[in-house]
Amino acid sequence: MPYQLPDSELNLRERLYFPEVIQGVGIIMKQFLRNFFFGRQKDPDVLARDRSLSQNATIAYPEERVPYPPAYRGLHRLVPREDGRPRCVACYMCATICPAQCIYIEAGEYPDDPIEKYPVKFVIDELRCVVCGFCVEACPKDAIRMDTGEHAPPSYTRAAQVWDEKRLLRGPPVSYQNDPWLRRGSPSISPEKLQEMRARAKPFPLNATDEYAQTPGFSVRALASEAKGK
Amino acid sequence: MRRFLGMVLFAICVPLSMVLLGRAVYWLVAGAEYLATSLGAPPTYGAAIANVILLMLVFVMTTAALLTIGERKWSAMIQNRIGPNRIRVFGNSAGGIFFLAADALKMLTKENINPSQRSRVLYELAPMAAFAPSFALFAVVPVGPAVDSVVNGVRTTVALQVANIDAGLLFVFGIASLAVYGTALAGWASNSKLAILGGVRASSQMISYEVSLGLALVGSMMAYQSLRLEEMVRAQGQLLWGFLPALGFFLQPVGLLVFFVSAFAETKRTPFDLPEGESEIVGYFVEYPGMKFGMLFLAEFIEVVVLAAITAAIFFGGWHPVLFEGWLRENLSPIWFASVCAGAFLTKVLLLCWLQLIVRWTLPRFRFDQIQKLCWKVLLPVALANVFITGALILVDPSLELLGLVGLVEIAAMAVITAAVSRKVEVPAHAHAAAAAVAGH
Ligand code: SF4
Ligand code: SF4
Repeated sequence: MPYQLPDSELNLRERLYFPEVIQGVGIIMKQFLRNFFFGRQKDPDVLARDRSLSQNATIAYPEERVPYPPAYRGLHRLVPREDGRPRCVACYMCATICPAQCIYIEAGEYPDDPIEKYPVKFVIDELRCVVCGFCVEACPKDAIRMDTGEHAPPSYTRAAQVWDEKRLLRGPPVSYQNDPWLRRGSPSISPEKLQEMRARAKPFPLNATDEYAQTPGFSVRALASEAKGK
Repeated sequence: MRRFLGMVLFAICVPLSMVLLGRAVYWLVAGAEYLATSLGAPPTYGAAIANVILLMLVFVMTTAALLTIGERKWSAMIQNRIGPNRIRVFGNSAGGIFFLAADALKMLTKENINPSQRSRVLYELAPMAAFAPSFALFAVVPVGPAVDSVVNGVRTTVALQVANIDAGLLFVFGIASLAVYGTALAGWASNSKLAILGGVRASSQMISYEVSLGLALVGSMMAYQSLRLEEMVRAQGQLLWGFLPALGFFLQPVGLLVFFVSAFAETKRTPFDLPEGESEIVGYFVEYPGMKFGMLFLAEFIEVVVLAAITAAIFFGGWHPVLFEGWLRENLSPIWFASVCAGAFLTKVLLLCWLQLIVRWTLPRFRFDQIQKLCWKVLLPVALANVFITGALILVDPSLELLGLVGLVEIAAMAVITAAVSRKVEVPAHAHAAAAAVAGH
């Protein structure tokens, strides 16, 4: 703890040493009995655990995890549209800004919709990535996110750490009202699907909301109201 | 509410299981005695052998081994952690008890690396020299009172005590000083700078504290007029003013304090763990592999158990149940009363072991000059003064009531000084905020 305690002479009682030792033993005993008779809280929602009886603060890691806050940068994912295709339009913004130069993109065109590009190849080398999040910031289409709340999983080979578009494209789909393919329609999307996507589309958010939360059960709003209450 | 009932249940179950344990030990000892006499052995031989096996091997070893786990698990509770829980049988970690087997397996199967420049004989001898004396100390501890038992119509008197020798306390001092050989030899024979430092520290510390250890018990010797532990325990059953049992705790509070501190230093555990000092010199056993280290390590815990037993015998009434003793004596059959006594003693031992672990996790390590200063400048004069004052008080009033009065005044004074409000240290507000941030993620 980086704070200074007043450094003064010990008085006679403190120099007797034993009274203070006995008091200290008393404190430790209290702590022991408290944690001995009251078990650790096992609520899977670790943030809601009550520590008023047992003060055990351990979170048994592999089985229990602390939820990551919304700003946490985890493993990348390519955000899909409702029809399963990537939102990415292969504009190379992310590959350009990436300081580690670990994104490789090959652009292609949909045969049925020649005004729209898509990444034929989209490869991120997770071993070279410095997890700066610039790619997410740069993307004009909200097509790449680091909201999986995962660490890059360990592997036995380097090759397994190079993630291609097939592994990257996952997670809940996203649609915005100003998405061009929703506004003008697209031959590659069936009319019913288009209807559905338009119905689900939301305005583009300016602030982080609960939809950005990476961990189930983690609420930005609850966190904010808790901070306000204190 | 359920938790509260659980606490009460726990508080009842521990002494009760100890009583049943005592009953079982009495039964086995009486059986062994009967068997031995029917085979033609002289009286008390069978009981003595059964006592050696049951009390010294089974009880002390089991308690010491469990304390190695208890130390980890209980320290975890003190520090708001979980402690060892990864070895599970049927999904249950059972308080980490399975780590006992894992530890033993690990110790026994470790590669046996011996330092090439060691002094061969002494190197092998040292763990045994550390192990044996702490064990032997338990021989004079009276666990339960003598009681008549009838096996197959043959009446014998059995007591849960290995040897009731005249020089009981002198035996304790003598054997306790032997323990220093183990550590000193281990340090010397390993031919390592760190080990020899540990050994030298251990020997200087243990030899210093032996003085106050001995002097602290002189008061009790005078008060109970005996060196036999069994008689000292018996004498603690008398009542002062008709209601207060003459426990060493009431008669000799200062002696208890000095004895406990000195004995703590003898066990070489924190705050007196300079001979080990894991963070600086690792200690006299730094060169010992596998089970040889295990023996040195276990010797420490055996010392904890034995220290608890001797403290319980001399200062906390030994096998006297203290509470409801008269009622128990009248309403129980002699053998069951003896079992209750043994259970009371074992419970006291467990409580004192627990207390030692609590102290060990409360205090940080002393500096070496502080250790010697505490011994020679504080404990020794206090112990000497205690001897003189006790002697004078017993001379004035041989019925011990004056001694008891002075003891009570001492306890009250200590309680008042302890409870007196110590200075409140003002902790800056941002420190609280930082602590809260750590605790609440
Ligand atoms: S997080 Fe940074 S380093 Fe990693 S891919 Fe994105 S821009 Fe490149
Ligand atoms: S992920 Fe975003 S920035 Fe990267 S190429 Fe696709 S649309 Fe452009």
